[in-house]
Amino acid sequence: MPNSDYILEVKDLKKYFPIKGGYLDRKVGSVKAVDGVTFSLPRGTTMGLVGESGCGKTTTGRTILRLAGEKTGGSVLFEGKEVYDLDKKQMRALRTKMQIIFQDPFSSLSPRLPVGEIIGEAVKEHNIVPKAEYEEYIDKVMDECGLQPFHKSRYPHEFSGGQRQRICIARALALNPDFVVCDEPVSALDVSIQAQIINLLNKLQEERHLSYLFISHDLSVVEHISDSVGVMYLGNLVEYGKKEDIFRNPLHPYTKALFSAIPNPDPHAKMNRVVLEGSIPSPANPPSGCKFHTRCPYATERCKTELPIQREMEKGHFVSCHEAK
Amino acid sequence: MSDEIKNEQNDNYSLNDDRRVKTLSPGALVARRFFRNRVAVTGLVILAFMFIFSFVGGAVTPYTQDQLFYRNDSQKKQYAAVKENTEFRYELADGEDFPTMAQAKFILARKKGDKGEFETGDAKYLFEKQGEEFYAIYNSSNKLIAFGSYDLIEVKNKDYNNFEFKYELVKAVSNKQDELKYKKDKFSISEDGIVTDSSSNIIASASRYIIRALANDIILGDDYKEQLLAAIESGSEDFTFVNADGDEAVYSFKYDAATQTWEIMESVDTRVFDTYSFPTKKHPLGTDRNGMDMLTRLMYGGRVSLYIGFIVVFIESLIGVVLGGVSGYFGGWIDNLIMRIVDVFYCIPSMPLIIILGSVMDTMHVDPQIRMIYLMLILGFLGWPGIARLVRGQILSLREQEFMTATEATGIRASRRIFRHLIPNVIPQLIVTMTMNLGNTIITEATLSFLGLGVKFPFASWGNIINDVNDTYVLTNYWFIWIPAGVCLLATVLAFNLVGDGLRDAFDPKMKR
Repeated sequence: MPNSDYILEVKDLKKYFPIKGGYLDRKVGSVKAVDGVTFSLPRGTTMGLVGESGCGKTTTGRTILRLAGEKTGGSVLFEGKEVYDLDKKQMRALRTKMQIIFQDPFSSLSPRLPVGEIIGEAVKEHNIVPKAEYEEYIDKVMDECGLQPFHKSRYPHEFSGGQRQRICIARALALNPDFVVCDEPVSALDVSIQAQIINLLNKLQEERHLSYLFISHDLSVVEHISDSVGVMYLGNLVEYGKKEDIFRNPLHPYTKALFSAIPNPDPHAKMNRVVLEGSIPSPANPPSGCKFHTRCPYATERCKTELPIQREMEKGHFVSCHEAK
Repeated sequence: MSDEIKNEQNDNYSLNDDRRVKTLSPGALVARRFFRNRVAVTGLVILAFMFIFSFVGGAVTPYTQDQLFYRNDSQKKQYAAVKENTEFRYELADGEDFPTMAQAKFILARKKGDKGEFETGDAKYLFEKQGEEFYAIYNSSNKLIAFGSYDLIEVKNKDYNNFEFKYELVKAVSNKQDELKYKKDKFSISEDGIVTDSSSNIIASASRYIIRALANDIILGDDYKEQLLAAIESGSEDFTFVNADGDEAVYSFKYDAATQTWEIMESVDTRVFDTYSFPTKKHPLGTDRNGMDMLTRLMYGGRVSLYIGFIVVFIESLIGVVLGGVSGYFGGWIDNLIMRIVDVFYCIPSMPLIIILGSVMDTMHVDPQIRMIYLMLILGFLGWPGIARLVRGQILSLREQEFMTATEATGIRASRRIFRHLIPNVIPQLIVTMTMNLGNTIITEATLSFLGLGVKFPFASWGNIINDVNDTYVLTNYWFIWIPAGVCLLATVLAFNLVGDGLRDAFDPKMKR
């Protein structure tokens, strides 16, 4: 049953990319980029999605927004409606409700359009505001995102990285969305700018009651912004729960290893680092059973054969591990 | 602390201020970079000159491209021949005989003295020199039966057409007398041997010269002959004859020592095509082998070359952008299909095909204008695959850019995505390629026209202007036929390439070495 408290419910979402090869481009296999992700996002909150490079965070974000072609399995319910069941027209209407901010502010702005048009293009397209109020509306959105009205006539190449990211945020917010996927929005920026952008996102969330899916590999940023946190490993959500629970009491061995890698500014603090052996296996040919068993220090025979199911260990704290207690 | 931050922000603002920083669109930036590139600007200037030269020049020039020019030429035509007689001619008295055998004996005997005798068989003859190369011949009974002289005698008046008169005449002429008495009449003899009576009527003439007309329709009058001989004897090389109608004609002589003949040439004024005329004020670059103004042909040729270049590139780009765009945007089996078609087109050897089609059109006698259209279509249809590949590649890479995902995420419709986001980003590379292709097309067109398979007479093209040079004589003697057209061709193609390079550098400053 769809719950109206949740703006987004993702159930067992799968997205495989075919590997083509051999004669006549036959499908010879698939990359299991997202392989069964389940979570739900309460309205007005932020969920952080962390994990190492290539674990499927970005694909998860894009698959939720139906930007990566058809899903392979599972369901994405946005405000209780299956996103992948909508026809073209309904989908276009839904686009205004869910938006995305990209990682690279340099490639995400069309270099041949002035900023005003980049931000306002979709506003006109969807008739968000009457024509008479259009200019005023764009100015307002730009102001909210820390941009000046005269920036409108400029081109992306005239802006710094932080400013470009503000433009991206303005473009997303101009459509007045309820849900924004922030796909590593700060990882291309230097630390001082990162803080500005994070604060801007926080401010906008308060003002507009936005829900974020905040994808990042920077745990401290996720800790700062998130209400809940999901940890991904090789296409699976291995642990998911409230930020406090996860950071206080990580249950999954991968989460533990990940958190032990957070640098501590105190040089005298004793570091109890969990060092993982080996490297991340190929998502085209993932290990059987628990995908983490090849690198897990606690792995048992059971882990090699049996896929762990998501278990609720505390209230709202889910983990996919046979050994977690 | 907060004041400090505020000040800093204010400073930032002033740096960033609208009044301080001039906003430049990407297009303006490209233009600025382009105009900073001296080589490219040189190319642009050359192109501008070529356009003005071809389009404005063609309109301004007083001639048309196929206007023929004539010149007046005095052609020398053989008119008459004059030969000094060096053989004896014999005049016989009535009823007498002086056979050939006797003539030969006389020649031999004459060499022994001015007076003597000779015999042939049974007959015996006497001779006596009576003037210069003038001998009277008598028979054995001392009767004047004949005379031999170098002079040719012509008696106009029938009353005097008898042996005695002729004898007296030649005697007088060969002794250089200016008077002739015959019976009771008295005549005067001119230096040229013309005999006139007291009332200046020409009675007869005696001359050492044989004058012969060299064409059937020429009748040489006495006046003419008289003046001609006078001119020859005075040693001049030409003379002017005014006939009864007052028409003046100039004749020139040429003495041929081998045949001892003067050839009289008549100068005839004719209008001929003014071919291969060297540069003059009227024709600053001379005329071609048909007698057409070279400069005008060059202007019109530029028009044709540029027209063909632009239209061919337009056709190429239209097909290339549409097919390449469809291929890149939709991908999948459409992409596969179109790219295989591109591969097939790449395999077509275009030069042989064009040459064959050209000769087919020759055989079918296709109108030159329609032929030009066919040429453009053929070149256009053979040239698009390169552009299709370029556009496809560009669109494939642009499609994966995040700003394209962003347009999808913001729900912008497909037509706007293509025309507002994809196409403008393909245009830079497209413009560069098109510019380069323009130069190539002009070269191809010139090559075909030079081979006689492209643009045909009466239309001018730089290629078929150079085609006039079909032998080394023209090549070495008439520089103005091929150098200007060659220079135009070279400069235009070079300029297109320079501008293309300049545009590429301007569009992508990072590419610069």
